[in-house]
Amino acid sequence: MRAMIVAVLALVFAAALTLTVGVRDGGFALLFQALTAFDPTDPAHIAIQSIRMPRLIAGLIAGAALGMAGTIMQAITRNPLADPGILGINAGAAFAVVIGSLIAGRADNGLMAALAFPGAAAAAIAVFALGGGLKGDAGPVRLTLAGVALSAMLLSFVSAIILARNEALEVFRFWVTGSLAQAGMRPLGYMAIAAVLGAGLAIAIAPRIEALSLGSALARGLGTNPGRIQLGALVAVTALTGAAVGVAGPIAFLGLLVPRLARRVGGHVLRRELIAAAILGATILLFADTIGRILIPPAEIRVGTMTALIGAPIFIWMARRLRAGAGA
Amino acid sequence: MTSGMTRGLKGGLILAVALLVAIVLSLMIGQIRLSAFDLWNGLLTGKGPGALTLRVLRGPGIATAIGAGAALGASGAIFQILLRNPLAAPDIMGFTSGAGLAVVCGVLAGTTLPMPLLSAAGGLAAACAVAIMAIKRDGTQVPITLILVGLGIGFLTTAAHSFIVTRLPPEQAAEAQRWLTGSLAARDWGHAGQVFGCGAVLAVILAIQVRALGLLELGDDLATGLGLKSNRARLKLAGTGVLLAATGVAVAGPIPFIALMAGPLGMRITGATQPGGRILSAAVTGAIITVLADLAARSIVPGLQLPAGVMTGIFGAPYLLWLLSREMDAGDI
Repeated sequence: MRAMIVAVLALVFAAALTLTVGVRDGGFALLFQALTAFDPTDPAHIAIQSIRMPRLIAGLIAGAALGMAGTIMQAITRNPLADPGILGINAGAAFAVVIGSLIAGRADNGLMAALAFPGAAAAAIAVFALGGGLKGDAGPVRLTLAGVALSAMLLSFVSAIILARNEALEVFRFWVTGSLAQAGMRPLGYMAIAAVLGAGLAIAIAPRIEALSLGSALARGLGTNPGRIQLGALVAVTALTGAAVGVAGPIAFLGLLVPRLARRVGGHVLRRELIAAAILGATILLFADTIGRILIPPAEIRVGTMTALIGAPIFIWMARRLRAGAGA
Repeated sequence: MTSGMTRGLKGGLILAVALLVAIVLSLMIGQIRLSAFDLWNGLLTGKGPGALTLRVLRGPGIATAIGAGAALGASGAIFQILLRNPLAAPDIMGFTSGAGLAVVCGVLAGTTLPMPLLSAAGGLAAACAVAIMAIKRDGTQVPITLILVGLGIGFLTTAAHSFIVTRLPPEQAAEAQRWLTGSLAARDWGHAGQVFGCGAVLAVILAIQVRALGLLELGDDLATGLGLKSNRARLKLAGTGVLLAATGVAVAGPIPFIALMAGPLGMRITGATQPGGRILSAAVTGAIITVLADLAARSIVPGLQLPAGVMTGIFGAPYLLWLLSREMDAGDI
């Protein structure tokens, strides 16, 4: 419980940093003023309300959603390397959005929202099937390689399309490396709803996923239908990942790191782990974003690059720890 | 034995013809289409559109593609034989993206060091990092851990790529992005000379080591019994493999999946079983794939030059997936 309180405090601190860093002067006092007594003529107030607020909301949605999605994926595949980025689900959503916008000739929020979810779902199913999940033996190595291959293919298509239209390079960067900049232009409302629905479903089925992890036979004995739980998990992961990609682009490795920490905070009860994962995911993403903004001013390091720089060494560390026989 | 020989001969012939066809097609197709007659005329007389295409427009790029593809293919075959795993290729294990990162960093830092040197340094650094980090606590190295750790190094260098690309002004960013995808556009005879020069030296070094590779394939105990210092031999072979990959990267960028695909495809066509034959067929197959990828990249959308790496990504990734499912059925991973 104490760990959970610390996590919440850290999140509040990270959120406050997201809103204040970059303000020329004033710090937290100015932030408090802008939130309680908004002055529409003060440029600093406007910056906080119209640029940093959407950024904060996008970070909260994406971080919490990716943390929860990673936790569900790791629980259901019993695979410590499962992450929406590594397993290609991010790439599926990005691919669908880019292709769809291109065919439709426009890129409005509703369209993006409508495309991200089927893209994420298709990629999730494809990776699970290609990684041997249908035969019931999706080992970490197989799933990882299948995800890497699928990502490579989909992102090659995305680059081909975007390189074909030079003016779109800025958009390209967004759909290949996630970012919280210009969050005000993303469909925040739709994505928040999707994330909440996905989170609700995840929390609802969490105890049954735990039963499933005891083995299918035992789970059936306890009155759980494994197929239905897996479907539920798929829907939850799709909603969460689609929401995250919709507001922040493909951000990898957050879903790899967060579940491990969440296990400590949540104490090996999946429901509590999920809540911890949401809080920790948002906290880490916001911190990473803030660090990316202040590291090389005036330029910004995209938050997707930051999470990859932090997450890739963790991936290596975890790959080393995989037992040679563990589904490898 | 004889049937194996004839199959090898037939396969070699098929590869040679395929390479020739790929080259001719690549010379003919482009923004301006040429007939075979134009090319022939240009070759004989040294005048006309055929000669211009051969000498300036498409010739150098295609020559570079052949050299880079052969170097990458040979490098892939070395690692696949050495680690006895078809997934163990320098592009999967992050060596090529390490080499690419070093080149971009060097160029941006304004060094006057030649690109192959930068590329070799980056490739070797990535390979050393992978090799060291893949050592388990009990001191052993397992191929699958090498591959996974290599993927991790690849993730890291990719993050570094995108970090660098975001810091550049838009024009340069687009250029760097193209290069890092793997591209053969606007290459001149200098590039071709470079890749063939470095490649030839490395080919000689490799030829000396082929016997050792054959012995290592028999297993460490037997190889040691036959008088081979197996660890040292393995290290030298790996070094040669990394340098070959780096040679390709220096002129073509970290173009993905060629090293992965060339070995098994070449082996399938020639039926080669000995290391020498496998490496040779991988080199020719790598050249064919690269020439065709470059051709597809610059002609699939009219009026637009895509980087060749986009094409190898689109066609190489399904191959990786197929390989994965086959390996899974065989129970190897």
